[in-house]
Amino acid sequence: MLSQLDQIQTEGLAELGAITAEEALEQFRVAYLGKKGRLTAIAAGMKNVPAEEKPAVGAKLNELRTALTQGIEEKQAALETAKDAEAVKGIDITLPGKPVPSGALHPLTRLRDRAVQALRRMGFAYAEGPEIETEWYCFDALNTPADHPARNEKDTFYLPDGRLLRTHTSTVQIRTMEAAKSLPVRIMAPGAAYRRDEIDATHLSVFNQLEGLYVAPEVSLADLKGTLEFFFQEILGPQTQVRFRPHFFPFTEPSFEIDIKLEAKGQESKWIEIAGCGMVDPAVFEAVCAKREDDLFDPNKVTGFAFGLGLDRLAMILHGITDIRHLIENDVRFLGQF
Amino acid sequence: MKISLSWLKTHLDVSDTSVEKMRDLLTFAGVEVEGIEQHGIDSDKIVVAKILESVPHPKADRLSVCQVDDGSGTARQIVCGAKNYKVGDKVPLALPGAILPGGLEIKEGKLRDVVSNGMMCSGRELGLSNDHAGLLILDPSAPIGRPFRELTPPDVIFDLEVTPNRPDLLSHRGLARELAALTSKPLIASAPVPQPTERVAKDAEVKLEAPEAGPFYSARMIKGVKVGPSPDWLKQRLESIGLRPINNIVDITNFVLMEVGQPLHAFDADKLNGGIVVRKATEGETIKALDENTYQLAEEDLVIADKSGPVAIAGVMGGAFSSVTENSHNILLEAAWFTPSGVRRTARRLALNSDSSYRFERGVDAQQVLTASALATKLILELAGGEADAEVLVAGEAPHLTGEVVFDETRARELIGIPDLAREEMHRVLTSLGLEKLGEEEVVSSWRIPSFRLDLKRSVDLTEEVARVVGLDRVPSQISGAYSSSQSADRTYDFAMQLRQALVQRGWYEAQTLRLISHAQLHDVLGPPVAPEKAVAVKNPLSEDHTVLRPSLVPGLVSTAEHNIRQGQLRLRFFEIGRVFISNPNGSSREEDRIALLLGGPSGASSWHQNDPAPADIYDLRGVLEAIVGGGLEITPKRLDQWLLSAEIKRGSKALGWLAQVAPARARDLGARHPLYAAELSISALMQGAQQVVKFTDLPRFPSITRDVALEVPADLANGKIAAFFKAQKEPLLAGAEVFDVFADPEGKKLPRDKKSVAWSLTYRSPERTLETAEVDAVHNRILKALVGTLPAMIR
Repeated sequence: MLSQLDQIQTEGLAELGAITAEEALEQFRVAYLGKKGRLTAIAAGMKNVPAEEKPAVGAKLNELRTALTQGIEEKQAALETAKDAEAVKGIDITLPGKPVPSGALHPLTRLRDRAVQALRRMGFAYAEGPEIETEWYCFDALNTPADHPARNEKDTFYLPDGRLLRTHTSTVQIRTMEAAKSLPVRIMAPGAAYRRDEIDATHLSVFNQLEGLYVAPEVSLADLKGTLEFFFQEILGPQTQVRFRPHFFPFTEPSFEIDIKLEAKGQESKWIEIAGCGMVDPAVFEAVCAKREDDLFDPNKVTGFAFGLGLDRLAMILHGITDIRHLIENDVRFLGQF
Repeated sequence: MKISLSWLKTHLDVSDTSVEKMRDLLTFAGVEVEGIEQHGIDSDKIVVAKILESVPHPKADRLSVCQVDDGSGTARQIVCGAKNYKVGDKVPLALPGAILPGGLEIKEGKLRDVVSNGMMCSGRELGLSNDHAGLLILDPSAPIGRPFRELTPPDVIFDLEVTPNRPDLLSHRGLARELAALTSKPLIASAPVPQPTERVAKDAEVKLEAPEAGPFYSARMIKGVKVGPSPDWLKQRLESIGLRPINNIVDITNFVLMEVGQPLHAFDADKLNGGIVVRKATEGETIKALDENTYQLAEEDLVIADKSGPVAIAGVMGGAFSSVTENSHNILLEAAWFTPSGVRRTARRLALNSDSSYRFERGVDAQQVLTASALATKLILELAGGEADAEVLVAGEAPHLTGEVVFDETRARELIGIPDLAREEMHRVLTSLGLEKLGEEEVVSSWRIPSFRLDLKRSVDLTEEVARVVGLDRVPSQISGAYSSSQSADRTYDFAMQLRQALVQRGWYEAQTLRLISHAQLHDVLGPPVAPEKAVAVKNPLSEDHTVLRPSLVPGLVSTAEHNIRQGQLRLRFFEIGRVFISNPNGSSREEDRIALLLGGPSGASSWHQNDPAPADIYDLRGVLEAIVGGGLEITPKRLDQWLLSAEIKRGSKALGWLAQVAPARARDLGARHPLYAAELSISALMQGAQQVVKFTDLPRFPSITRDVALEVPADLANGKIAAFFKAQKEPLLAGAEVFDVFADPEGKKLPRDKKSVAWSLTYRSPERTLETAEVDAVHNRILKALVGTLPAMIR
């Protein structure tokens, strides 16, 4: 009996080793371990084994069953592994992938959003105003003299009814203060503005500005300086150098222009003008008080700062765009770069 | 405005100030430096040379070989390409080692095998003028061998942009005065000028008929002048700042203008017919001005006239007839003050801008009119001879435009943000700028403003001066946070950004198109047609392409598609979020923010994996709309001329906008190879329906059972009707219904041609238990029975 088992072991393991397909493995399992399999037949013959041999034969039988079962499992695993490898045979992962359709935000939107997020961190709320405005909101309330050149039909778009297309987003300063219920007023207002310029590589008749305004009882140039330094370092990088140059605007006093230092590799660094700012002129507060018919913005009680910057120009500087018309042509080859 | 450094140095010693420092000084005074040009050249190696001989170059037709005398005693050989000289001329010669403006270093070398030991120079090569026609031929008296810089001293020209509030800086003296204040240096005193006696003019001599526009006029008669070219120093002064010398008299008036900022005009007194009248023009009057153009005057224009008519446009330009020429002997020198707004109006209407009008428009110092007149007279007598009347005739009175200002020092410190800014320092700044302290109390002081500082009227104006001079460098940076609650505009912004991100992630490109569009583009408006007269039009458009404010974003996206198609782009996925302008029936207008989409072409490029992916169709557009509108999207077909497949987009009963296919004829116009689709929705309407806070729905705990049904319905039955039927069912177990197949047979074999087969999958579920087959069957059959009874449908 034992020699019979030895023979089964030798034959079985050899047969198992030669198997290369799952069907053959199943047949093998049935042939050895199935109901009519060779091992099952031997087990059935145990009753005829003399009692003194039974323990040895039983042990051998179990050993053999375990060996075969384990062999089958290992073979099964090996066959599956081989099959898995076969399944990816011929795949060339150096071929290009299936195209995933791409899209992109307009670069002005991306820049504006960075600006908005930076100002929100400093507690500025978003404000808006109409683009069709009256002369009062666009000029009078902003302390612009009656015969100021900007009011000219050569420079400003008018509607037949005397209204105009706002020439700057500073109109939102007035709109916001007019509607304010309490102080402080701390707003940002990105938006479109219009100037009667022929469209060329550096001019658009409609362009994008960002306005900011902070009015409270004791706002100073120190607030203006700190806020705008932080702002430009947030959107242009912490190394950004900012300088304030005295300038003139009718609606701020004192007024400054803001330059940033542009450092391009291989080029001499230079200061580039990117924004205007200043302390709100008392005449602007007076105009607001007259319109509101109250003294919430009494220039003897409140001060404030305002700033405005051209987003188109900033985007051009930031990305090295040489022709402003790219910003309105919306060529996919342009948009796809950002 | 151009400022010459050497001219400036006659007023202020800035020899210790480098050009770069000068630029910074001006910049931080608030004067923008737009350009700096080096004129002439400060070099020992450029000398006066005389051409001794010139023979053709043996190997080059266009070159000559010259021998020149450079003062060294030995002739020097130079190869030269210019043709404008003759032997014996004197020219500037750059010796080896000289570096020209622009950085070119002159070396000994060979030109076409012939030795050349230097270079003879043109005016442009020396940074003197734009004359590049040939060599700069020097005066025969120029001393051979002497450095050229002795003939033409080097200069630096600053091109400055002076802000409109500072007309007092529009002259060399004015700018020097400002720089003196900023550098604490004394101004160099000008040579004394004899001041004439003032005599009030008789009406027959000078009459002011429009004193509100021309309140002050002076005239000085100078007889027996000899008009001729100006001396070199005067010509050089004017040329250095870009003015063309005319003759000594005109040049002197221009010099005084640039010296002290007062515009002057000299008349040929013999061409004047009677006394001067300063009056408004009469309608239809004309004048031929110095620029040889004839101008049609209007009643609002101020003119200087004689008995025959206008002889000058006041403050803008003199007339040609009475101008000073080589033949003039007696001149009348005008120095006056005109109202800025009047000069500005006339200059603008006539589109005639002069150095004179530029200054009058911004404001001239009325108190220096007579000083300027005396200075010009002095120069005329020196350079053109003649004899000046002892008296200057004056009419009217020079207005006093500045006064006293009380300076609130506490408020100034608060505004500037330097709490310990010393009173002494503030006072020092104001004094240096020419303000005179009249008195001081504890925290205020009062100041007399000099007549040239027209911009200083209020305490805050003095604060500005202090802040400007102290500089922002000394102001501490401070960030004061403030909590401000988000406004509705914040929420709209966030909503729009989410929409943008959602579309970009789905492969769409964001466009930003111009808000001003053409009449023709109104045809591309998606929605009820907008006639040109119903659009919000600009009164003064720049061109026909930009005449109306867009009533829809779609025209801009159509142009965007056209541009990209032209560039060979097949895949078109564009959206824009922006403002549109709608005119109301009553003539007013309103502004609204919208989102528009334009779709066409395949979803991706052809690749090795998939050739020619299918072009987008209307269901691709609808899929995107379902994604951005969310639940409750309703599409109601509604006819629009110019469009196909047009439909209104709603959520529930709320109208959101439109969708449609671009008419194929229009698409062909654009060069599109595939159908184009567009949609436009109102942002505020979209936002109103967007659920702000989502309420959680419990997850189903028991399995669902689905039953499919195929319906045969008329080919034109809208799927929306079947969907509406299922939605209206009140069966509590019906958890959902979805169409999963639509089939029609145009051949009419498997199905009649006027029918289609629509397959739906119905889902049944109970929140409380696992359903039994029998109960599902019962409900399903009930629903189908109702369906057949309600819609023209047959169960297949």
